[in-house]
Amino acid sequence: MKKKKMVISQETMDIDFVRKVEALSGTSVRRCFQCGKCSAGCPMATFMEHPPNRVVRLLQLGQWQRILAGRSIWYCASCETCSTRCPNKVHLASIMDALRKLSWDAEGPSKESYVQLANKLFLQNIRTYGRQYEMRLAAVFNVKSGQFLKDLMLGPKLITKGKLKMFHKKNRNMNEIEKIFARIEEMRKKGEAL
Amino acid sequence: MPTKNSLDYAYYPGCSLHASAGEYDLSTRKLFKALGIGLTEVPDWFCCGATPAHNVDELLSLSLCAKNLELAEQVEGDLAVACAACFSRLKFTQHTLEENSTKRKQVETAIDAPVKLDGKVKHLLEILARDLGLERLAASVKKPLSGLKVACYYGCLLTRPPDVPNLDCIEAPTIMEDVLGAVGAETVAWSHRMECCGANFTLSRPGVVIQLTNAILESAKAAGADCVMVGCPLCHGNLDIRQKEIEGVYKTTYNMPVFYLTQLVGLAAGLSADQLGLDALIVNPLPLLKEKHLL
Repeated sequence: MKKKKMVISQETMDIDFVRKVEALSGTSVRRCFQCGKCSAGCPMATFMEHPPNRVVRLLQLGQWQRILAGRSIWYCASCETCSTRCPNKVHLASIMDALRKLSWDAEGPSKESYVQLANKLFLQNIRTYGRQYEMRLAAVFNVKSGQFLKDLMLGPKLITKGKLKMFHKKNRNMNEIEKIFARIEEMRKKGEAL
Repeated sequence: MPTKNSLDYAYYPGCSLHASAGEYDLSTRKLFKALGIGLTEVPDWFCCGATPAHNVDELLSLSLCAKNLELAEQVEGDLAVACAACFSRLKFTQHTLEENSTKRKQVETAIDAPVKLDGKVKHLLEILARDLGLERLAASVKKPLSGLKVACYYGCLLTRPPDVPNLDCIEAPTIMEDVLGAVGAETVAWSHRMECCGANFTLSRPGVVIQLTNAILESAKAAGADCVMVGCPLCHGNLDIRQKEIEGVYKTTYNMPVFYLTQLVGLAAGLSADQLGLDALIVNPLPLLKEKHLL
């Protein structure tokens, strides 16, 4: 990726994509003047191939495919340090949310699959049970990610300490929760929401 | 001592408090009862969506929170929230829907009801420090935590981002230190009080969490802390449950008990180890508490 030449032209400046990000995040991508404070304070920058300020710069230059193909957006912890310290009020944490959503909708061209799998299972848990069922979350994650032995030693200890519940009650608002999911899907189908 | 019971709250525990953070729930209920603060659980509350929901679908996150805020209206009083992530999401929803009319309209369609944003959402810390007040809190102390050196760990979501939680100063909060000061504990000054623990990467990328939490524990130890205090079940899980693993990876020993804020304040209010669920902690806090004559 580093060696790949970047071509910037009228065609590559996909302003529609930037507008979508701005609508979803409610913040301006164009306000960023690259001071780098976001990356300086980012606890996750060390795990990213493009630190936060570079993500915004790439976005400004219309190079969003590079961002979506990488793992940077999936390694953001949503700690909000960047948004807190930005001197020009760019809410970068919300931009990260918007980028993840657009990547998610495009069915994740990113190779970072573990974080996406965890998110998916978490949301499935809400739709199925109403509340998080941690035991199932961890077990299904291990099976689906092929890491059968991950945190295996922690399991028995957590169960004896009462921290992992074997059974889970369904929430009484399940109907209402399902309707929220369905109405959002409906709105998106009709083009009333991004 | 609180004489008149004027403090009554709706209570949103959040998913973790009904599972991996059961001791946070238990100690919250016992402490609030001892202080004469009423808590009524919001009937059939559900998951706020936490980080994963807003990570990939903000509209879903806002809608889940808006519906929970509506459920909370059934119970009288401000909404008391224990988990820093739930607290952050609920406040973020109120803030966003107040400012952005497009999103507000979308959320109203999703929940098929008008959103109500006037209810107050408060973290337990605010209730102890401001609603009950430090003076009344200090007056309720039966066993001052003297001699206990605590590193107050705020993590990310109690104070950030600007204008949203409005819990305290965004880069240099003191609310945890204020509460602990009122119950006689000593708090240490340290560098990593607001650094991220890696939160929900604990499931997907535990290696990330190990690296970040090691730095946090190292900083707390260097500052001379006996223990760490948190107000978030995810921070707690990462610092407490994973501590043995961190020690293994970095070939070091911390043996640093990690308490929920309600456990330490509860201890000062004279509650027993059982009432505070101290046995559920993975790093055993009993030797430290006995050494300091607090048990």
